[in-house]
Amino acid sequence: MLFHRPETLENAIGIMQAGPVRPLAGGTDLYPGLRDGPPPAALIDLSRIAGLRGITREDGGWRIGATTTWTDIVRADLPALFDGLRAAAREVGSVQIQNAGTVAGNICNASPAADGVPALLTLDAEVSLAGPGGSRRLPLGDFITGVRRTALGEGEIVTALHVPDAPGGRGAFVKLGARRYLVISIAMVSAVVIPAQDGTIGEARIAVGACSAVARRLPGLEAALAGCAPEGIATVVAAADLSALTPIDDVRGSAGYRLDAVREILGRVIVAALGREG
Amino acid sequence: MKITSPKVSRRSLLRGSAAAAAASLAHARQVSAQNAPEESAFEAWIDLRLTVNGQAHALTVEPRVTLLDALRERMQLTGTKKGCNRGECGACTVLMDGRRVNSCLVLAASAEGRKITTIEGLADGDTPHPVQRAFAEADAFQCGFCTSGQIMSAMACIEEGHTGSPEEIREWMSGNLCRCSAYPQITAAVAAAAEELG
Ligand SMILES: Cc1cc2nc3c(=O)[nH]c(=O)nc-3n(C[C@H](O)[C@H](O)[C@H](O)COP(=O)(O)OP(=O)(O)OC[C@H]3O[C@@H](n4cnc5c(N)ncnc54)[C@H](O)[C@@H]3O)c2cc1C
Ligand code: FES
Ligand code: FES
Repeated sequence: MLFHRPETLENAIGIMQAGPVRPLAGGTDLYPGLRDGPPPAALIDLSRIAGLRGITREDGGWRIGATTTWTDIVRADLPALFDGLRAAAREVGSVQIQNAGTVAGNICNASPAADGVPALLTLDAEVSLAGPGGSRRLPLGDFITGVRRTALGEGEIVTALHVPDAPGGRGAFVKLGARRYLVISIAMVSAVVIPAQDGTIGEARIAVGACSAVARRLPGLEAALAGCAPEGIATVVAAADLSALTPIDDVRGSAGYRLDAVREILGRVIVAALGREG
Repeated sequence: MKITSPKVSRRSLLRGSAAAAAASLAHARQVSAQNAPEESAFEAWIDLRLTVNGQAHALTVEPRVTLLDALRERMQLTGTKKGCNRGECGACTVLMDGRRVNSCLVLAASAEGRKITTIEGLADGDTPHPVQRAFAEADAFQCGFCTSGQIMSAMACIEEGHTGSPEEIREWMSGNLCRCSAYPQITAAVAAAAEELG
């Protein structure tokens, strides 16, 4: 196995072009997987490329570098819009995992139960990619294409995520697991709510994870919530059509249990994102 | 071992010494004789310098060797334990540039240039570190297998300031499992050490 440790993005792309070579960030997904089969012919450690790490302000929003760790997210001074992502960061594995695991590693691994994905979907995040053919940018919803499948092309790496501003927006996230840490989600819900002047919901963005091959937004429910007063949320959620979700039966829970759980945590998360105690 | 891209700088590619490469080829042949997948990754070994507990260690390893295995098997620093070898138990916790990580999920090659602290680096000669002493005084272990990981995690937990209440300690120590379930004593030890180090 060859091991590359570039310190600049330019070098990294050159190495990727000469490939095939597997990107390595925190290694918390890749390394446990490596034990189950032959290692890749070559690895490229992205963790030394300074420009890939950290959260910065950019025109119209925020840039989250690919190798930004979950701990970096927890510690960052971010507006309430990011409360859902911050809550998700706190529940990825354990502190040890959060210190190593990265945001881009989570989306590139593309597990249906990736905790970062629902929150990032509700943030309308976009993904920047760089590769031999240049750079491109696409919505997160188009980047993750299936279970462990992404739109990453030959020799491409993720360089950053971009989150547009949403003034007044507040995020929330709830993960249901057998215990709080070191568990794979049974179901999770993330929401961003932008309140209207009169205290009703101006705009709601809702995403559910671990209940379909890829976490997904619920546009029907989002539309039904627009203009809804806090007292009306429970009724809207009770009536919500969740047929877009296709949860599985497994050791962690049955499909029926997952759907019941989602409906319950939807209500809690939306109320929390509106800034009211559930 | 060939790299074709002109953009690849020599410094970014870690090469092993010729002798090490020859040894690894012999190993590869042995592996393929057992019908292992062709791609077996024995092309190169890596010369590394790791800084552990303030001391520099030079070693030559295969790129896929974890920091945990390098510590235990190459540097004879066996205080760091291997429980699950997949990030789930925390027995292998060490500090890397001051932050706690599972050394079973870090490649030794990725740890080069970082400051590594293990359980062996805490005591001052024969005088245990206050966190070590707190664990002994609170009886915070039975079999002791998880203890070095617990203590390293506690070091970081105290440094991070997450010791405000027993609940907070439990929450921020939850990456370390104890099969003997010494959790109440571990929580008490962390609280006592935090107070002493205050
Ligand atoms: C014990 C344990 C508990 C865990 N608990 C959780 C949990 O609760 N919730 C959760 O969501 N996840 C969990 N994980 C999974 C993992 O920690 C996260 O998904 C983490 O964010 C992965 O990031 P990483 O940097 O470690 O990825 P890596 O392992 O370095 O990489 C993951 C994948 O992404 C690719 N990759 C990484 N960075 C890039 C890039 N910039 N461009 C292109 N490809 C890239 C790699 O090639 C690899 O295929 C857990 C893992 C462990 C070991
Ligand atoms: S041995 Fe590393 S976490 Fe269990
Ligand atoms: S003391 Fe035995 S595992 Fe913790």
